[in-house]
Amino acid sequence: MMKIATLAATLLLTTAAGATTAQAANICFSFQDLETEFWVAGHKAITTTLTEMGHNVLERNANEDVNKQLEQIKDCIAQGVDGVIMIPQDGESANTIIRESQNSDVPIVVFNRPPADTGQGVIVVADNAGIAEDATDFVLQQALEGAADDAKLNAVVIVGDLGDSNAIARKQGFEAAVAKYPDRFNVIEVASEWDAATALANLEAAVTANPQIDVMFTSSDFLFPTIRSVLEPRGMWKKIGEEGHIPLAGLDGDATACQLIKDGFVDATGVQDLYFEAEASVNAIVQAVEAGETDPNEIIFDPGFTLTSANIGEREMDMWGCVLLSEGFLNN
Amino acid sequence: MKLRLRRLTDLVLNHSSLVFLACILIYYGLQAPAFLSVESLGNIVKQSSFIGVAALGTTLVLMTAGIDLSVGAVMFLAPLVAGMAMKHLGIPVPAGFLVSVLTGALLGAINALFIVKLRVVPFIVTLATMFLFRGFGIWLTSSTQFDFSEDMRRFGLSSLFGIPTPIVIFALVAVLIYVLLNHTQFGRQIYALGNDREAARKAGLKTARIEAAVYVISGACAAISGFVMIAQIGRLDAGFGEGREFDVIAAAILGGASFFGGVGTAFGAVLGAILIQAAKLGLVFTGVNLYLQPVVLGMIIFLAVFADAVRTRRLTNKLKRTIRPLTRS
Repeated sequence: MMKIATLAATLLLTTAAGATTAQAANICFSFQDLETEFWVAGHKAITTTLTEMGHNVLERNANEDVNKQLEQIKDCIAQGVDGVIMIPQDGESANTIIRESQNSDVPIVVFNRPPADTGQGVIVVADNAGIAEDATDFVLQQALEGAADDAKLNAVVIVGDLGDSNAIARKQGFEAAVAKYPDRFNVIEVASEWDAATALANLEAAVTANPQIDVMFTSSDFLFPTIRSVLEPRGMWKKIGEEGHIPLAGLDGDATACQLIKDGFVDATGVQDLYFEAEASVNAIVQAVEAGETDPNEIIFDPGFTLTSANIGEREMDMWGCVLLSEGFLNN
Repeated sequence: MKLRLRRLTDLVLNHSSLVFLACILIYYGLQAPAFLSVESLGNIVKQSSFIGVAALGTTLVLMTAGIDLSVGAVMFLAPLVAGMAMKHLGIPVPAGFLVSVLTGALLGAINALFIVKLRVVPFIVTLATMFLFRGFGIWLTSSTQFDFSEDMRRFGLSSLFGIPTPIVIFALVAVLIYVLLNHTQFGRQIYALGNDREAARKAGLKTARIEAAVYVISGACAAISGFVMIAQIGRLDAGFGEGREFDVIAAAILGGASFFGGVGTAFGAVLGAILIQAAKLGLVFTGVNLYLQPVVLGMIIFLAVFADAVRTRRLTNKLKRTIRPLTRS
């Protein structure tokens, strides 16, 4: 809450300084769903900030339906909104919606999930590949430290929905990290389709087929409870330092990951700087509306960082999940 | 020789799902011997329970020539209601399980009300309730995850005489549906209704009551399936169960049920669910490229359904040539 309040206050001051005559804008915020902690926190940060800045927010939940999202945004445009912030369902549909919005002279900002063609609209996106590579690199090194020099280790990667460009980038980041250690890792790919039940079944099969798992990377932190359900009954869910611990990394930086890093079960997670992304999105749309720009095109990168068992002491509160955790998110 | 070949063809087609399952097990077993290990086969059955339990209920619906598209939403909403009851009322897991089943039955009864009393087409009703039930669940959770207690996870990961609880529950539901269909008057009435609704009505069967009951059972089965899966993970996400109605219907159809009603068995639904799960997990064992997995899986399901269609056509032709009607094996 503190982070969001600070974000809102900063934006209020900066916009008040430069735009004393600014009027309340009507911003349509369309999101595909709020099924993970990341989306919930992102939604809260954006809506709270816009509202506290005095703007009107028209929220639209597409419930993971691309057609519904397109119709909802068309409806927003018909109502005369000044700008649109969107979390698209997938990369392809995002381009259609961006075109629709810009053709109607309404500026649009895409939050976190990039469209297939990144040449249109303001796109605020994490460097998914880079963040995944850093987080994976950390756990690969942990795995290699405890292994013989010539040993080939089994590395599991839980892949997200292959229709989601973020999932693809994370997979590529994992592969880039593994490529740094030629012939040291045998990669086992597990499809999750961003679905816990699918991940559970496939991971259970992967662990049965390869009982020796040396390191694991999940493309999203929301799958940690699923991983636990597979590893725990097999005696493979161990804390760092315990015999049989599997170096484990994720990506997102959610409250569960924060708790698990604190508890010693997870080694690292790649953090998308949610507050930076929310701030950049809000700034971009407000500036476009005030400047009367109808089709601003720009990519704003969130470099992110990796929170590990080694740096959690210093960087804990930089991670949005740890902020939520400190506010009792997991107890609500 | 020709007659023997024809008999063999008939035998294979009459048991096409079983033959497909055997082929899948053999093929994947040759590619990755660990696939045929006891642990792996146990996993297949355990993971089949999620789709299988719901497919058992859906089979009954399909037997009346109906359809239930709200299964995935019930899988989400019923355990959620149970979870909230466990959290806020402090009830233990077994009572939560009962709440989940009753919620599922209630949601099924809502479907039944519109289908039977208001005479709305099942496809339309269950399509609407699919959105309605999920929307209600999303409203309850504000789209956020719902974490269950450790007791719930202990239940999901527990076993009875070394058999994982999900398999035990799957077996119990399968036996119940088997007994219901094969050894009760109600079961025979479902077959009669599915085969010829008008004839069943004229014979004095309370068709409305029978039809309503199958939707209630389908809802209860979907609730059990959702609860058992969530118990293994310990967390319910907003997207849980989404799109699962298609897996469930595919399993029931692979198991021999028909969209036109009148046919289907409990064993078939179990077999259909295991067939789909074996095909899916075999892809993991053999390390098939992730991009190709949906293609390969789709082909396997298509072939299995195609074989079933060929079998049905041959049977229909036989029936035309026979004075006395043949019973389907």
